[in-house]
Amino acid sequence: MKYAFFPGCVLKGAAAEAHTSMMKVSEALGIELVEIPDWTCCGASHAQGVSELSMLAINARNISIAEHMGLPIMTVCNTCTLQLKQAKAKLDEDENLRAQVNEILEKSGHPYPYQGTAEVTHFLWVLDAHPEVFAGKIKNKLTNVKVAGFYGCHLIRPQKVLNYEDGRNPESLEKLIKLLGATPVDFDYRLKCCGFHAFFTAEHDVLTVTGKIADNAAQAGAQMIVTPCPLCQMQLDMYSPEGREATKSSVEVPILHLQQLVGFALGFSKEEMGIGRHVTAADKVTI
Amino acid sequence: MIVTLQIHRYVDEKKWIQEYKIEITKGLTILSALHEIKAKQDPSLSFTSSCRSSICGACAVRVNDHSELACEVLLDTLVKRYKTDVLVVEPLGNFRVIRDLIVDWDPKYEKMKKIEPSLHPKAEFTVQTGCKQSIEDFDKYKKYAGCILCGSCVSECNKSALNEKDFLDPFIFVKAAKLVEDSRDKDHKQHLKDVIEAGLWKCFNCQECTASCPKDLDPAGAIEKLKEATFKLEMASSVGSNHAKAIYDDIYNTGLLDESKLSVQSEGFISAAFRVPIAYRLMKTGKLDLFEKAPVNKDISKIRSIIDIAAKEDK
Repeated sequence: MKYAFFPGCVLKGAAAEAHTSMMKVSEALGIELVEIPDWTCCGASHAQGVSELSMLAINARNISIAEHMGLPIMTVCNTCTLQLKQAKAKLDEDENLRAQVNEILEKSGHPYPYQGTAEVTHFLWVLDAHPEVFAGKIKNKLTNVKVAGFYGCHLIRPQKVLNYEDGRNPESLEKLIKLLGATPVDFDYRLKCCGFHAFFTAEHDVLTVTGKIADNAAQAGAQMIVTPCPLCQMQLDMYSPEGREATKSSVEVPILHLQQLVGFALGFSKEEMGIGRHVTAADKVTI
Repeated sequence: MIVTLQIHRYVDEKKWIQEYKIEITKGLTILSALHEIKAKQDPSLSFTSSCRSSICGACAVRVNDHSELACEVLLDTLVKRYKTDVLVVEPLGNFRVIRDLIVDWDPKYEKMKKIEPSLHPKAEFTVQTGCKQSIEDFDKYKKYAGCILCGSCVSECNKSALNEKDFLDPFIFVKAAKLVEDSRDKDHKQHLKDVIEAGLWKCFNCQECTASCPKDLDPAGAIEKLKEATFKLEMASSVGSNHAKAIYDDIYNTGLLDESKLSVQSEGFISAAFRVPIAYRLMKTGKLDLFEKAPVNKDISKIRSIIDIAAKEDK
C-alpha cells in the first residue's frame, strides 16, 4: 500500500510527535508514505475565509502534485482532509471552475493541471478499510485499557463531502480500538466540537467545551481519549488546565493521537511514540 | 418491527420521558409516527407540522441527538443508522421549549432583526422601471432563498449550545449572506457590519449546520462567504479576521503556518502577552520554539503567483 502523504502544518510544528509516531507506525504496518514534495498549508478553513478562490487554486496545486505522483493522498489531520476533499468536490463537480483554476495554475508556472484522478483519504479510514495490515503485528494487545474515541468534526461532517461512514453514528474509531484489544468507551461528547478553530474569538466557550469533553469521557469510564485529528489533540491536551478550571473538574485524561494508540499495540514504547511532548497526564498513559 | 420512541415531554413545567411503541410500516416517517401516536395512543402529545412534504419547515425535531425534518426521514433509516429499536425524540436544541416538541421561534425572529433582514434596493430601481438582475448575479444567492426556517441548523450549533448571547443562529447568517451576495442591495456594508457585531467570527466551523440542513443550503459555507466579504469590502479588522489573514499570509510568505507568530498576528502584542503562561507550558514540552523559522517552500514564487492571480480574479 502506497500513498502520497499530506502531513499538514501542525505535524511539522506543535504536533511533531504525531509525525514521528506516524512514520514508525506506517513502516511497521507496511504502508509506504511518500511525502508530497513542496506541499503547502491547506488553508485550515481560515484562509478560505479570506479568499476561497485562492485557496481552491492552492489546494488544486497540492492535489495535482499527488496526481502527478500517481498516488492517492493520505491525510492525518481532519481539517486538512475536509479542505482537500471540499476543494476536490468543487473542482470535480464544476468544469467551469476547474478550467478557471487550471488556468490560474498554468499562468503561475505550475507544470501540470488538476485532473481529479487522486482520491483523498485519512489514515483512520485506511486502517478501517484494511484491517489485514494488522495481521501478526499486534505484539501488545491493549487488554483492559478503556479508550474513548473522539472523532473531531471535520472527519464526519458534512456527510456529502467526507462520506466514508455515517457521520451521525460513525464506528471506525470504536472498531479500531477493539481490534487493538482495548475497550471502546461511549460518551455523550464523542461527536462534539473541541472548538480549536474558534479559540481566539470565543475563548471562554472553547475552554468550557475543552473541559467538558475530557470530563465527560472520564465520567463514562475512559482512561484515555484517542483522536484522529492533531488539532483536537492539541486543543484537549494543551489547554486541559484551562478546560478543567472552566468546568471545575479535576480529572486529567491523556489525549492520544490515533497513530500513538496504534503504535502502542504494535509494541512501540511511550518514548518512541513521543508521549514526552504531551502537556497533560502523560504519566497516566497505561499501555 | 416494533420500535420504542422515548419522547421528551414538557407540559405545565413538568418534564418527563414517555415511551410509545409503534410498528414500523413501509414509508413510516418520524412525523407519521407522531401523528399515529397522537391519534391512537396519546392525544396529549404536542408537536407542529403542516405540509408533510419538506417545504413548510414546521416539523423538525431531534432524534438521538441529531436534528431531522420529521416528515422526510423514515423511522427505518434511523433504526438502521443507530442499530437500535429505541429512539430518543426531543424538541430541537437551542430553543426555548413551549410544550413537548413545540419550540418558541419568537426569540429567533428577534435575533434575525439584528441583521435587518430585508433588501435595501439600490436608488436606480423604481416602481416604474422595476429591478433587473442578471442570471449570473441571481445564481450567487438563489440557494439561500431556499431556507424553510425549519431550525435544524439551530438545534445542532455547537457554539450556541455553549453561549448563544453573542452569536447568531446559522439560518440568520444564511439570510445575511443572501443579502450581501445580492447585487440589488445597496447596503452590503451595513448588513456585514451587523453580522460582524453579532458574532460572525465566533463560529466554531463544526459543520453541524451544513450537515443538518435538509435543503442543502450549507450555512457554514454562507458564514465563509460573509467572512470573505469582510475582506473584499475592507471591513476586516478583528481578532477573527486577523487570525484568518495571518494563515493566508503565512501561505503567501512561506507556504506553511508559522505557529510561533500566530498569537501576536491575531491578537496583537498586548493580548498575546497574556499568553505567556501557556507559551511557557508549550516550550517546556518542546511544542513551541519561538526562534524556529518556518522553512520557505521551494516553489514559493509559483505559490505567490497563484494567490496573486486568484485574488485579482476573485474581486
